[in-house]
Amino acid sequence: MDVISSSIKTYNIWFEISGVEVGQHLYWQIGGLQIHAQVLITSWVVIAILLVSVIIAVRNPQTIPTDGQNLFEYILEFIRDLSKTQIGDEYGPWIPFIGTMFLFIFVSNWSGALLPWKIIELPHGELAAPTNDINTTVALALLTSVAYFYAGLSKKGLSYFEIYIKPTPILLPINILEDFTKPLSLSFRLFGNILADELVVVVLVSLVPLVIPIPVMLLGLFTSGIQALIFATLAAAYIGESMEGHH
Amino acid sequence: MASTVMATKPIALAKASPSLSPRKISIRAQAKPSSTSIPNLKRLTSKLLFSVPSIAMLAATPLPALAEMEKAGLFDFNLTLPIIAIEFLLLMVALDKLYFSPLGAFMDARDAKIRAELSEVKDTSAEVKELEEKAVAVMRAARAEIAAALSKMKKEMTAELEVKLAEEQARIELELAAALNNLEKEKEEALRVLDAQIDALSEEIVRKVLPTT
Repeated sequence: MDVISSSIKTYNIWFEISGVEVGQHLYWQIGGLQIHAQVLITSWVVIAILLVSVIIAVRNPQTIPTDGQNLFEYILEFIRDLSKTQIGDEYGPWIPFIGTMFLFIFVSNWSGALLPWKIIELPHGELAAPTNDINTTVALALLTSVAYFYAGLSKKGLSYFEIYIKPTPILLPINILEDFTKPLSLSFRLFGNILADELVVVVLVSLVPLVIPIPVMLLGLFTSGIQALIFATLAAAYIGESMEGHH
Repeated sequence: MASTVMATKPIALAKASPSLSPRKISIRAQAKPSSTSIPNLKRLTSKLLFSVPSIAMLAATPLPALAEMEKAGLFDFNLTLPIIAIEFLLLMVALDKLYFSPLGAFMDARDAKIRAELSEVKDTSAEVKELEEKAVAVMRAARAEIAAALSKMKKEMTAELEVKLAEEQARIELELAAALNNLEKEKEEALRVLDAQIDALSEEIVRKVLPTT
């Protein structure tokens, strides 16, 4: 009995120093439904960062841009180029969607890696990147699905569904399956990357807390940036594919 | 995976610890009378017997905690999903109004202005070319004038010189002719004088050579 109680005590002490809290969420209730509050809180912080920095940098546009304005002009040109490459000539209306997708995911991932969230203690669960939750990534992936359906239907009307039998009608089941695998792969790619990176960093920090985890953290910054780019590029590619004209 | 993670969760144990302690106390309470009244071997076996249900209870305690959290884990879909979707759409509208549209319009206007200025500059360079050609033509005309004037002057000069030359030549010829005439006259004179002398001399020679009779 004493042996068992003492081992429980040590386990608890270890937990207090370095807890890996996977699958722990802070729950809020609205009506009969629950919300992962930590995702909501961090997403509000990300949105605040985006809006404040945009407002400050784009206030008085100068012909010869200042540093902040230059950075945001570069970002806008990058997004325009990405959309134009993937979607084609009618890329104008889709820039807000692709741009917001890219910026939201990028700032989420980097905020999860760079901001000291552990300072704020939650009663249950912990704060981290909002994209480490399956709800966020599936929400973004479903929005992308809706977007490319909307693009195809608004451009071609009901003849959009001819795409499903385009090369040969034999591929119809595969094309239908694609409509499920596209959002699935998008969401899981982002979710797995961000969650796994966080887990690796936390485990490494709990084992060797000094300088050793830093290369892994840098790798995490790099891959999370790439994941934002990939998500935005694939979203634009799906939209462009569904808007493709007659060959 | 989520369930195994949950099963080894320290927090499950921490959560279960308040519920564990009454059980701990109860086990101790049970163990105490047995340790005082039963000899060592039996004490050990009874301890083991009591430890087995306690371990079973430890293993069982995560389950009520799980039931409390309603099977929380990695794949927990709830109201967060639509809320994030709505937040994203609102963010998209806000960024469009604040950033993409105004900055995009500003950048496009700036590009158009630069292109207009560039095309203006190209036009003035055409004007400059015209002026250059005019200048070249004027230069050529001036040079042609100069060359013409030069050649005219040359012709006049040579004509004058030739006239002078011809004059001098004529004068010289006259003088030459006069000189030659003089020379001829003197030659004739000399020849006449010589003839006379020759006659005289020949007479002398004859007188001297022939015997005096």
